[in-house]
Amino acid sequence: MRVILKTRPREKPRVPIEAEEIIPQNFLRKDDITVFLGNKERSLDDLFFVTIEGPAVSPDQVEVVLTGDTGVIKRVGEYMNAGRIIIEGDIGMHCGNFMSAGEIIIRGNADSWLGREMRGGRILCEGNAGHYCAAGYRGEKRGMRGGMVEVKGNAGDFAAEYLSGGEVVIHGNCGDLAGVEMRGGTLVIGGDCARPCGNMTGGTCMVFGKASQFLPTFRANGSQEVEYAGKRYRMNLFRGDVANRGKGTLMVRA
Amino acid sequence: MAGILIKNAFVIDPLSGIKGEVMDIAINNGKIVEEAPSGAEVIDAAGCLTLPGGIDSHSHVCGTKVNFGRYMSPEDMRAGRTARKGVMHVTSGYSVPTTFGNSYRYSTMGYTTILEGAMAPLEARHTHEEFTATPHQDMLANTLFDGNWSIMEAVREKDTRRAAAVVAWVLAAAKGFAIKLTNPGGTEAWGWGEDVQSVHDPVPKFGVTPAEIISTMIRANEILNLPHSVHLHCNNLGVPGNYQTTLDTIDLAPDLNSERQSLYLTHVQFHSYGGSTWRDICSKSEDITRAVNNRPQVVMDMGQIMFGRTTTMTADGPMEFKLYMLHHNKWSNHDVELETGSGIIPVYYGRKSLVNCVMWSIGLELALLTRNPWQCLLSTDSPNGAPFVKYPEIIALLMSRRFRENERRMIDPRTEHFVPLFAIERELDWYEIAVMTRAAQAKALGITRIGKGYLAPGAEADVAIFPLRPDNVDPSVDYQQVMAGFSRTRYTIKRGRVVARDGEVVVEGANSTIWTKAHVPDAYDMGLDPEFRKKFEQYYTVRMTNYPVQDVYLPRGVRIETEAQL
Repeated sequence: MRVILKTRPREKPRVPIEAEEIIPQNFLRKDDITVFLGNKERSLDDLFFVTIEGPAVSPDQVEVVLTGDTGVIKRVGEYMNAGRIIIEGDIGMHCGNFMSAGEIIIRGNADSWLGREMRGGRILCEGNAGHYCAAGYRGEKRGMRGGMVEVKGNAGDFAAEYLSGGEVVIHGNCGDLAGVEMRGGTLVIGGDCARPCGNMTGGTCMVFGKASQFLPTFRANGSQEVEYAGKRYRMNLFRGDVANRGKGTLMVRA
Repeated sequence: MAGILIKNAFVIDPLSGIKGEVMDIAINNGKIVEEAPSGAEVIDAAGCLTLPGGIDSHSHVCGTKVNFGRYMSPEDMRAGRTARKGVMHVTSGYSVPTTFGNSYRYSTMGYTTILEGAMAPLEARHTHEEFTATPHQDMLANTLFDGNWSIMEAVREKDTRRAAAVVAWVLAAAKGFAIKLTNPGGTEAWGWGEDVQSVHDPVPKFGVTPAEIISTMIRANEILNLPHSVHLHCNNLGVPGNYQTTLDTIDLAPDLNSERQSLYLTHVQFHSYGGSTWRDICSKSEDITRAVNNRPQVVMDMGQIMFGRTTTMTADGPMEFKLYMLHHNKWSNHDVELETGSGIIPVYYGRKSLVNCVMWSIGLELALLTRNPWQCLLSTDSPNGAPFVKYPEIIALLMSRRFRENERRMIDPRTEHFVPLFAIERELDWYEIAVMTRAAQAKALGITRIGKGYLAPGAEADVAIFPLRPDNVDPSVDYQQVMAGFSRTRYTIKRGRVVARDGEVVVEGANSTIWTKAHVPDAYDMGLDPEFRKKFEQYYTVRMTNYPVQDVYLPRGVRIETEAQL
């Protein structure tokens, strides 16, 4: 089944839409999906041109396509556990929160909190991601626990904060404090970043660009060759964060 | 306001000596009256259990630390969300719900009065603001004096009268209700990274012991004629082997008041551990209840834990730090200038943890082994042991041995070697539950004088009608029905208005905040005392004139006035 949701023109296009109900399993189960426009509850038909093609017997066979002015839509794919969502443009905050399986593909940019605390599945963002990409929410001590997030562009500050499982790959640059409080999992940064991995206690972070303002609380631990994007790089190894008795591994291109 | 006539109610009203009679209750102008006015709304209770409005004598629902629990637990805020409905606001949260969430859930369980367990005087404004947003219950605030410098100096000089004068000034300034001591001395010692290990351990820099603080405060409380007694959270909370400290504390309680107890011990479950480490922790509920059974001047509440997720929050900073060392998860500690401290940690009590199973058993044992139900009140120290929404389950456990046996099969099988619970055959009856959930609270808090906790003419019209017919429900067998019945009243009536019906709140509330003003002679007015004033000038971040909570924070304050014997 393929569900195509095209945004209708709106009088106030900047009012955000909260759409945690837009997940593949819901399109099988119910037909009264609602979303919030500001503080008003609206049916899906009020805000989108909905086209449904073909049948499906399980959520795995459901593909949701979002097109139009999608940059203000928040919480798409929250708690999704199967199927696929394709977003043809940008997407708002909290896309893919807590998802446990399935796939989200974003052709444009993603706003903050992309894939926050996700448990499994895969998110591919072909543009840039905002702050707190694949992080834990404020007050949460375990962020992403499984699955994979891949960002082709850059990510903002606090990427993969509290990462405790799964893999985060950011091909571009990261902002400040990437991978802080990491407990497990793998973070790969193709470009530059600043102050990576403060307070990390576990997991592996690789930086293939430049790590500026490198924290003094990491202990040098030799070097190693690692393959990334089809090339082999020599990496300096560090253990830390020593200030937190951490046993994480931070690698920076030599 | 038109009156209400409740017909055919199966009433249990322990304070008026009614142990289960089918009768009518008339309400007019927010009071129980002899005869309903003409045109009164008639509610047919059809033989259903009808009790005075519930009173919770120890719960943490409002104030700075509750609020901090809210914002450090986003996962808790995602639980228990309800949408706006009729007059009901949006709510969220499970162990630390929003204020309206607390109010609605209490109301649908028939509770109409709540005592907030710990309010730091310096942060009283925030507590009172949240009281106003907890609209369906009358609120009272226990005010913390455990680490108050002026109190400890008075204790050092053995000047009980000065301690009483400080209490009178602070209660009036913070608009508090009663004296709360949380780990007396220990929280102050924690300011220097230390704690006290027994009631005879001196507090660093002050040279006073917890025993001296407790004894002085009990006497100061009686000098001021406060409605409630000293409300004490003993030292050494949650430490294996701490029952000895608790017994020592019980020994300190003199019998000074003929109306009520002289010492109220709160969440005693956390203070009844034997053993020496977490590996050999065992129940000492028998020792504790023996001591309480022999001393009518002591009243305690259970502090039952229930399995599941919750948030612990207390003014006992050092204890929360110890808990952090066990969990290594998020935590907070906070120091309140010259007064007290606090700490917050989310926890999970699991059936697979032997320690948690022992704790769970101890709470129930305390209630079952205390002979006089007026001396052991039902509480979970919400949310420390469990959120208050678990009360119906506790009631069912106390009323049904079969339910306890069923639970026994679910918990760690080693538990029975460490606790006497499964040898206890006692099953509480409706009357005892009515005592433990409202009447004993009203008596212990001393609020019968303002018409709380009973249904005789002249009392406040706070009534809870539960969908339970005691004549055809056998609680020892139908415990599921008991649980469901106590979770959701058919009607909750607060001050003569139906506020909740079948689990739904139907009106906007208008609660009042009850506080105490003890009148002292001018010679004991601490506002004029140079030493006391100096504390504000030298140490506090606020001036003395800015310290008292203004009346505007209590839109519907009820003042209980007492005359001090100074």
